[in-house]
Amino acid sequence: MKKSIFRAVCLALVLLLTVAALTGCGASSVSTTEYLGTYSTDVTSLIPFYLPDTTGKKVISNVIDGLIETDRFGSFVPSLAESWEHNADYSVWTFHLRKDAKWYDSKGKEVAPVTAQDFVDGMRFVADHKKTKSDMSIIKSVIVGLEDYYDTLVDFDDPNLAASKKPEGPRETIEATFDDTVGVKALDDYTVEYTLTAPVPYFESFLVTEIFLPNHKEFSDACGTKFGTAPDQLLYCGAYILQSWQRNKEFVLVKNDNYYDADKVSVKKIVLQKITDGAATVEMFKRGELTGTSLTGDQVEYYKQDAEWGKYVTLRDKSSVNYWFFMNFESPNTEFNTFAQNENFRLALYHALDRVTIAQLYNPYDTEEMLTNVICPEDVCYDENGVDYTDYAPLKEIKERGAGTYDPALAKEYFDKALAEVTDGNGNINGAQAGEVKMGRTFSFQTDGKLPLQLVYIHGSSSDEVSMAQIIKMNLEEVFGSENVEIVLSQFTGDKYNDVIAPGNFDLGYDNYSFKYADPLSQLGRLVTDGAVNDGHYSLPEFDDLVAQGSEKLVVSERYALFAQAEALLINGGYIIPWESGGGTYGMTREVPFTAPRGGFGLSRFKYKGMQLSEEPISAEQYDQLEQEFYAELNRKNAG
Amino acid sequence: MAKYIFKRTLQSLLSVFIVVFVVFLLLRLMPTDGYFTRDDYQNMSEAERQMYLVEIGAVGNPIKLFGEFMGKLFRGDLGESYVLQPHRAIADILAEKIPYSLAFGTVSMVLSLILGLLMGMAMAKGKGKWPDALGTGYVVIVRAVPSLIYLFLLQIAITGLFHIPMMFSERNPVTWILPTVSLSLSSIAWYAIWLRRFMVDEENRDYVKFARSKGMTDWKLMKRHVLRNALVPLAQYFPLQMLLTISGSLVIESLYSIPGMGGLLVEAIQEMDNSLVQVLVILYSALGVLGVFLGDILMVLLDPRIRLTDKKEG
Repeated sequence: MKKSIFRAVCLALVLLLTVAALTGCGASSVSTTEYLGTYSTDVTSLIPFYLPDTTGKKVISNVIDGLIETDRFGSFVPSLAESWEHNADYSVWTFHLRKDAKWYDSKGKEVAPVTAQDFVDGMRFVADHKKTKSDMSIIKSVIVGLEDYYDTLVDFDDPNLAASKKPEGPRETIEATFDDTVGVKALDDYTVEYTLTAPVPYFESFLVTEIFLPNHKEFSDACGTKFGTAPDQLLYCGAYILQSWQRNKEFVLVKNDNYYDADKVSVKKIVLQKITDGAATVEMFKRGELTGTSLTGDQVEYYKQDAEWGKYVTLRDKSSVNYWFFMNFESPNTEFNTFAQNENFRLALYHALDRVTIAQLYNPYDTEEMLTNVICPEDVCYDENGVDYTDYAPLKEIKERGAGTYDPALAKEYFDKALAEVTDGNGNINGAQAGEVKMGRTFSFQTDGKLPLQLVYIHGSSSDEVSMAQIIKMNLEEVFGSENVEIVLSQFTGDKYNDVIAPGNFDLGYDNYSFKYADPLSQLGRLVTDGAVNDGHYSLPEFDDLVAQGSEKLVVSERYALFAQAEALLINGGYIIPWESGGGTYGMTREVPFTAPRGGFGLSRFKYKGMQLSEEPISAEQYDQLEQEFYAELNRKNAG
Repeated sequence: MAKYIFKRTLQSLLSVFIVVFVVFLLLRLMPTDGYFTRDDYQNMSEAERQMYLVEIGAVGNPIKLFGEFMGKLFRGDLGESYVLQPHRAIADILAEKIPYSLAFGTVSMVLSLILGLLMGMAMAKGKGKWPDALGTGYVVIVRAVPSLIYLFLLQIAITGLFHIPMMFSERNPVTWILPTVSLSLSSIAWYAIWLRRFMVDEENRDYVKFARSKGMTDWKLMKRHVLRNALVPLAQYFPLQMLLTISGSLVIESLYSIPGMGGLLVEAIQEMDNSLVQVLVILYSALGVLGVFLGDILMVLLDPRIRLTDKKEG
């Protein structure tokens, strides 16, 4: 009895393992025409005009082309438009489409040519709030008539609006006004013209965003609400066709051999698998099951020591996302509120924050390289002479401060000045009251209106965030002395924006901010009084004026000169403390760096067009060499 | 019995109804901020946000909304998901996901029943000897070490040893084995340890000693008496476990990238996809109640001594 049971169990196990071994034999070689990538959160829908997450951007950018795209240097090059021009004051832009671009269905069958009307219909789709959510706010006021048309439809649909205030219907009548009122016109089958409300010299950078993609209206109308919910609910005019999309599992994109630019596409198939575990991706990369993998701080430390894999650990290029600290100028905490209004205190904070030590949490090596001292990203905006925006005075000096902003002695000096100005000399903080400070539904604490200043730092619940908060607490209390400053840590678990930033439940915090189009206005325009990312609610009229003046200048170098002054005001006044750049993560990859399109905004940077894959992983040495060659070429290009 | 079944059915329906109603109301009590991201606040006006909330049924008279929801449900319309997979019919989402969880769940349950019961028997028979020690060792490891650790190590080791892909792939049957086995590991231990316990209990009963003294063979005694009696307390849970395989396994499915049901409810709650949450709550609570009910009936069938209704006096 005993024996027979065991025999059965053993037999079953042996059988299972043999089957596994037999069928699994033979490790596959690594293909240079197949890109095997991963993603971690699922895409909700693939409506091309609304892509809130990176995975959706990766897919759509490769299957639908726009008028123009960026090349591997980040310069604008033709895509569906062969050529384009603008009038003298940059307010009317005309694009001439190529005639060999076609729409294909998910089986690769040709459906129709891509025409100028498709671009008009693309904008028509975005302009209807019922069709999709979108990133409208960045272009609503840029194109003539768009804002009015959009708002009229919203008003018409708004059930809470009084009948007398409602625009006249029916809805179809309002929709029909699009062709006459909105500044997007198909002059003929292959010419599309955009009329703008004001001169916009950097208009090209809008065109690489999803909002300006073409739409085959007949097809999307036929799909109705199912548009973008499955591969056969989309049409394709890009380098690839979405062959399959299994939610929570994988995307398979195959090269469209009939694509007009097919000879530039060397990756024939792209498979993106949903894998949530970072340790699994590293293992899969090593076995050749993935083209690349990113590494966490701990993994970097481990693999740097590894004899076989250590040489492949590379640091990727920074992204255009910047991180910065902001403080609350309308804090319910009266102690902090007094200090926040004081410039000496803000500068004390600027020089007290040990940004390197904090960033080491996320990036143990090359930490200083990741720091940024400015608000708009470097290497993204260039003027007509090829000069980077961040090289304009007085930004250049700020940029070059590097890690040197951390200066405890100077910080203490500023702090003592601030103390003299905002306290009465006996430790009482001017204007501060004793009592309970309530921040949000669950967090409150007692203040006494006296030193030490209680400063609430908000942080998330991940272990990195908690460690970071503790480092900041130690850092600031050490520099200022715990008799002067007490950092109160407040952890949030929900949504940072909704629960903390919007209601103002903080004194000090940080966030990351993406860069939406190639003009400093992209960031500075949102940082003015009441601006969308003015999270601390400061008001600096001088800054607002400079931004307004700059945005009116059409010569890029003149714009940048004014914007640079404006940005410097924010930083030198301690309103915002820039911290580090996004991206720049460590990884190992078989993707040859600097072969794929580049760009600080929009969709092109997610394209696989032009990308080369290598059979062997790219070593750090190779990476450095390619990087040097790339930047040398880029600088030559910009100078010439 | 018929009367009992009728009564239990009514009770079950009532409990499902209460669960669903309470969950429905709770979802409407949540603050509406969570339906929007930071970008939404920039891109949508207050009026647009209100319209969106009305569209997804997040605001409005909850009783009326509940009525509409139940009405649709009776017509077989589960509604559409709003956040996770906007504009996709929930029925389609379930039809796509359930087969994976069900297939892996069923096969692994059969596997764990067979292996678990065999192991439990071996442990009970060899009580105090090496099979028992070996089995106990296995049970302790599987139940005490956090599953993520040994499951991940197993994934790396086995796929590396046999050069098989780490992730599940529908096209490649060899990748189906490891997730199934991993899914069974802990339930094998569960069946084994309980069967061992009940069998040891039974073996010490007088009737077993009596049968043995009468010269009944060990094997017959095992099969006819001990095993059957020991299975009764376990059998109560079979239907429930069988039905709830539909809900999938969060850990295994994310480890092997299986697009099943595991985690769907959690995700739907996090993303505030109310319509999906409601359907899943109905599904799981109905299955849960049904499973317990079937378990009770199965127990009666296996053990005639157990009665579900009071025996009438006289």
